[in-house]
Amino acid sequence: MSKRIIVGMSGGVDSAVSALLLKDQGFDVECIFMKNWEEDSPYCTAEQDYNDALLACNHLGLQLKTVNFSKEYKEEVFDLFLKEYASGRTPNPDTLCNKEIKFKAFLNYALILGASRIATGHYARLDHNNGSVQLRKGIDGNKDQSYFLFMLNQQQLGKTIFPIGEMTKEDVRNLAKEKGLPNHDRKDSTGVCFIGERNFTEFLHQYFKSDPGNMVTIDGKTVGKHDGLMFYTLGQRQGLGIGGGHSEKEEPWYVVDKDLKKNKLIVAQGHDHPDLFHSQVIVEDLHWVSNYTPSSNELNAKIRYRQKDQPCSVNISNGTANVTFEKPQFAVTPGQAAVFYKDDICLGGGTIESRN
Amino acid sequence: MYYFDHSATTPLHPRIKELMVNVGELHFGNPSSIHAPGQKAKTLIETARGQMAKAIGCSSNEVIFTGGGTEANNLVLWDITHQQKKHVVTSVIEHPAVLNVLDNLEEFGVTYTAVSVDEAGVVNPEEVKNAITEKTGLISIMLANNEMGTIQPVAEIAVIAKKHGIIMHTDAVQALGKISINAKELRVDCMSFSAHKFYGPKGVGALFVRKGFQLKPLIIGGSQERSLRAGTENTSGIAGLGLAAELATKNIADTQFYLDSLTNAFHKQISNSFSDAIFNGHPEKRLPGLVSISFPGFRSDLLMIHLDRRRIAVSSGSACSAGDIKPSRILSAMSIEDDINICTLRISFGIGNTLQDVDYLTQSLKSSLEQIRSAA
Repeated sequence: MSKRIIVGMSGGVDSAVSALLLKDQGFDVECIFMKNWEEDSPYCTAEQDYNDALLACNHLGLQLKTVNFSKEYKEEVFDLFLKEYASGRTPNPDTLCNKEIKFKAFLNYALILGASRIATGHYARLDHNNGSVQLRKGIDGNKDQSYFLFMLNQQQLGKTIFPIGEMTKEDVRNLAKEKGLPNHDRKDSTGVCFIGERNFTEFLHQYFKSDPGNMVTIDGKTVGKHDGLMFYTLGQRQGLGIGGGHSEKEEPWYVVDKDLKKNKLIVAQGHDHPDLFHSQVIVEDLHWVSNYTPSSNELNAKIRYRQKDQPCSVNISNGTANVTFEKPQFAVTPGQAAVFYKDDICLGGGTIESRN
Repeated sequence: MYYFDHSATTPLHPRIKELMVNVGELHFGNPSSIHAPGQKAKTLIETARGQMAKAIGCSSNEVIFTGGGTEANNLVLWDITHQQKKHVVTSVIEHPAVLNVLDNLEEFGVTYTAVSVDEAGVVNPEEVKNAITEKTGLISIMLANNEMGTIQPVAEIAVIAKKHGIIMHTDAVQALGKISINAKELRVDCMSFSAHKFYGPKGVGALFVRKGFQLKPLIIGGSQERSLRAGTENTSGIAGLGLAAELATKNIADTQFYLDSLTNAFHKQISNSFSDAIFNGHPEKRLPGLVSISFPGFRSDLLMIHLDRRRIAVSSGSACSAGDIKPSRILSAMSIEDDINICTLRISFGIGNTLQDVDYLTQSLKSSLEQIRSAA
């Protein structure tokens, strides 16, 4: 097998350390920077990211090339992202980006370039037994990114290395510093890649017109106006603009639901309001990393990134998972991913369809 | 390393490097100072002005030194904002150092018409003439295109400009040292140059401004360059440009012959091995040494990675857009379809290349294409 590994370089410390580790292990390492978004605006960090990646590669004595998948990203990820928002849901573009771009378009590109495998700086681990690959959480519980990788299949994972899955973020930074990598203290990126540090609602306003309606309580009392249901997320607290005088309580207001038919945003007061919690969740578009539906019904699930494992029982029939959580879950959000685990093995997951 | 990207930039000629080091070390005086070191520096700048003037067939007082070709273009284009007539005729194949400037001048009331090119990448002077309105104050058409190497009928267009009393500018950044340039024969009013395209240093350029034509400065301060370009002169850079211009134009027929022989050898070897390959641009009206070639079905970014592994430097599309592959707008203007457009390499030979280098290039292209084909 060819010793050539192509590393997806983001400019961050995680992918740089991944390249460093592989190089030290004697692989023939080449690095590629993916450009997945076309925008010349102060918010687009691609140029700075590229420059950081270039300096890191230069330090490691490695070549850096660029590939542009912005067309693929737009068609396979962003269009769906907009469609989901238009229907009042809150999608997760990063899981889809991994499935369609990083571990498909990029993987294929690397294979054409004669690589035997690709590597990325994800905090996750891969175990190979008897020709199948298990996806496991990264050692660093705080940084584990298996949640974003649940849509990957055996073919994709079989051609992938996660060199830093056995390390903590602290280890990664320390090693980067020790080896003199210029990006060793670069700030971690946050949020959705193409939005960067800008205001999310403002970004969405570029694509959606305002569609104002009423904010109402569960009892139907109007307490304010909203701009359009797509601009709000379930569980959202900030930015509702509901002043005092609507009730005797002083507690903050939260979004509990969206009534798409009547264009109403349903709100309630207090973080512990029972309408913000659900135990029953319907999950669709199921995908299992191993190709097989798990045999056990007693699993753990995460319904958002970095959430602690939540024990639940899962009943699967006709491609739908009926999930009952031991404890009611705050702000279960249709469109987001529910990802299932057995211990530290990421089994797969799907998209939250509804809750009750 | 095998370097075939001389249209992007050239290596510094060893004699120029030596001169620049000497100037920087020994003649560091400020050319505006009246003491001996200052006057020595001033002498070096005026020598360079003479060399540049001779290289393009004009008088010394018609040469302004700038911080590069882009700045030279900007100096001419911004001047239009001070003119009564604020319409510009240009072409779709100009460098961003012209077209992006014009886009930015819109808010100052400048409008422009960009004429198209034919399938060989040549501007039709008739179209330029037809694009002229009573508001046209400037025509800017490049002397030779950076992606195709196609030479444009600038002298012919300059005649049209004269007839209409319009200022004529040409971006000649790609042309100097490859074809002979004579400012009088071209009859242009302004002409831009960049030293690093003809084995000189980066960050220094020149603008020819015909005597009698008054420009307004962009960079204002001291009275350097007749107040047209303020700021203490880049003495070693300017000296380097002067020598580069002299060396590049001294034996231009020999250079042309040499670059043509490399191009012809490449052309022949490629035609024998890959009948599918398409040579873009005009067969004769072209810069020596510059080849635009499409390999249908082979994306240029992939090809370039394979060539890079073999230590070969070529360019895909225009080298100015770092990193990623987009269809070249210049090839698009020549009606080349996107799927062929993104399979295009620009190979630009220089005086340091040999016939052996060309053999290595074609061999490497051959094995790269085979590898890509077998991996797909």
